Amino acid sequence: MRDNIVALIVEAARELGDQDEIELPVELTADTRLFGEDGILDSMALVSLIVAVEQMIEEQLGFAVSLADDKALSQKSSPYQTIGTLADYAAAQQGASH
Amino acid sequence: MHTDFLVDVFEESADNDALVWNDLQFSYQWLLDELRVWQAKLHDEVPQGAVVAIEADFSPKSIALLLALIDHSCVVVPLTSSVEEQKPEFRKIAEIETTVAIDAEDRVSIHQTGINATHELYKKLRALGHPGLVLFSSGSTGKSKAAVHDFAPMLDKFKVRRHTMRTITFLLFDHIGGVNTLLYNLSNGGCVITVTDRRPDTVARAIQDYQAQLLPTSPTFLNLLLLSGVQNKYDLSSLELVTYGTEVMPESTLNRFRDAFPDVRMLQTYGLSEVGILRSKSRESGSLWVKVGGEGFETRIVDGMLEIKARSAMLGYLNAPSPFTEDGWFITGDAVEVDGEYIKILGRKSELINVGGEKVYPAEVESILQLMDGVEDVSVSGEAHPIAGQIVSAKVKLAHDESLGDFRKRMRAFCRDKLHRYKVPQKVVLVSETMHGERFKKMRR
Repeated sequence: MRDNIVALIVEAARELGDQDEIELPVELTADTRLFGEDGILDSMALVSLIVAVEQMIEEQLGFAVSLADDKALSQKSSPYQTIGTLADYAAAQQGASH
Repeated sequence: MHTDFLVDVFEESADNDALVWNDLQFSYQWLLDELRVWQAKLHDEVPQGAVVAIEADFSPKSIALLLALIDHSCVVVPLTSSVEEQKPEFRKIAEIETTVAIDAEDRVSIHQTGINATHELYKKLRALGHPGLVLFSSGSTGKSKAAVHDFAPMLDKFKVRRHTMRTITFLLFDHIGGVNTLLYNLSNGGCVITVTDRRPDTVARAIQDYQAQLLPTSPTFLNLLLLSGVQNKYDLSSLELVTYGTEVMPESTLNRFRDAFPDVRMLQTYGLSEVGILRSKSRESGSLWVKVGGEGFETRIVDGMLEIKARSAMLGYLNAPSPFTEDGWFITGDAVEVDGEYIKILGRKSELINVGGEKVYPAEVESILQLMDGVEDVSVSGEAHPIAGQIVSAKVKLAHDESLGDFRKRMRAFCRDKLHRYKVPQKVVLVSETMHGERFKKMRR
């Protein structure tokens, strides 16, 4: 499941990169830094990415996630650091709902 | 001269920094010399009382020119790069007679448009011999309104000397808050630190490198600053005061910021382009209750909404009827809760969408999406979002079958050269029913 989510995040980031003319690394992986130090996204792009990923997970993987609620924002370690940490945060929500 | 009191301050503070721009520092002596240069040039090239657009962001020359234009009793219309799409419309509404364009290298070009500005409000200012300021504000119907201010009473507010701090300019001078920050600092010999963009990293680096003490900003930015973790990367210990306004502060953001920056004082500000910036006092640093008013302002609450009467209120709009009540009160449209002298701002009653402090009019986004192939109907509204405050959400009715993913890709490509990126809907919902009521009025919720 985590791999599927990573793939969706990569797809969403590519789409955003095209739209906003953000220069993305050639290879996007779970280790790619998203937001914060050395992150590839600025704040507006982060918000767009989160909303797109939420919608894509719901459509393509069939479960609802909330990736930017107060809980996400108050995590000790931000879920937006890398593609992998965001995928982990999303995957944990699927686990919790079953 | 209208800026004599500022010149006195500049002379006293000659050796101090007036401005940090592109990592360069400019002293008050520099500003004074530059002011003289432009005063002489305007004298030769621009008629007194002309309506002049300054097409620029904050820069050393744009600030010197602003002051020289004030002295020359001109009506100043600041147009910054953030309103790029609306510039042609704004120029027309303001009847621009002279354009002063300042490029990224701070080079100035001046040209005459051949237009004669004849608006009644301009005539009024010319009769008084006063300089003016035109600021474009939001209208609930989506049309930008041009507020005309008499600069003379606005400047009077700054003649009382106050304590100054090294200040980051988060807002530009096409916004009442940006004008206020600039004039406050200049009239007290303070230092304005400009930033090239508003990313947390850029702002934090400027705070560290130039020892900024005051950061006027928005709740959304504070949230992003915390999320980005820049407080661990930069030394932000120079920061003493953070002021926030332009949107409702979520309590959780306020609390988290105070945990991260226990020594920084927090102050809520309140102002509108129609009436100016009020003096404000938060009940406590961590409180959303605030007292607004100060000299020259009266406030009252009618039907749960804040109303303001200001001595330095605008004269009126260029392109809309006067919004003031017969006895001069301005209905802000902000819903508030009251506790004695303090109020708590609950939010706008209108449908304006506020994405990270940037304002988006539903009608503007709708009108662009409506141009796309296959789009039958569209309705745009704000949706609460913990990071951006609000995001733009679009309900779209399509004429043919298309997956949401494909439509979203197509929409982003379509909007790329037509809408500012923060106006492009982050959320899209495909629907099958139409979105207007029986009287063919769009329903946005």
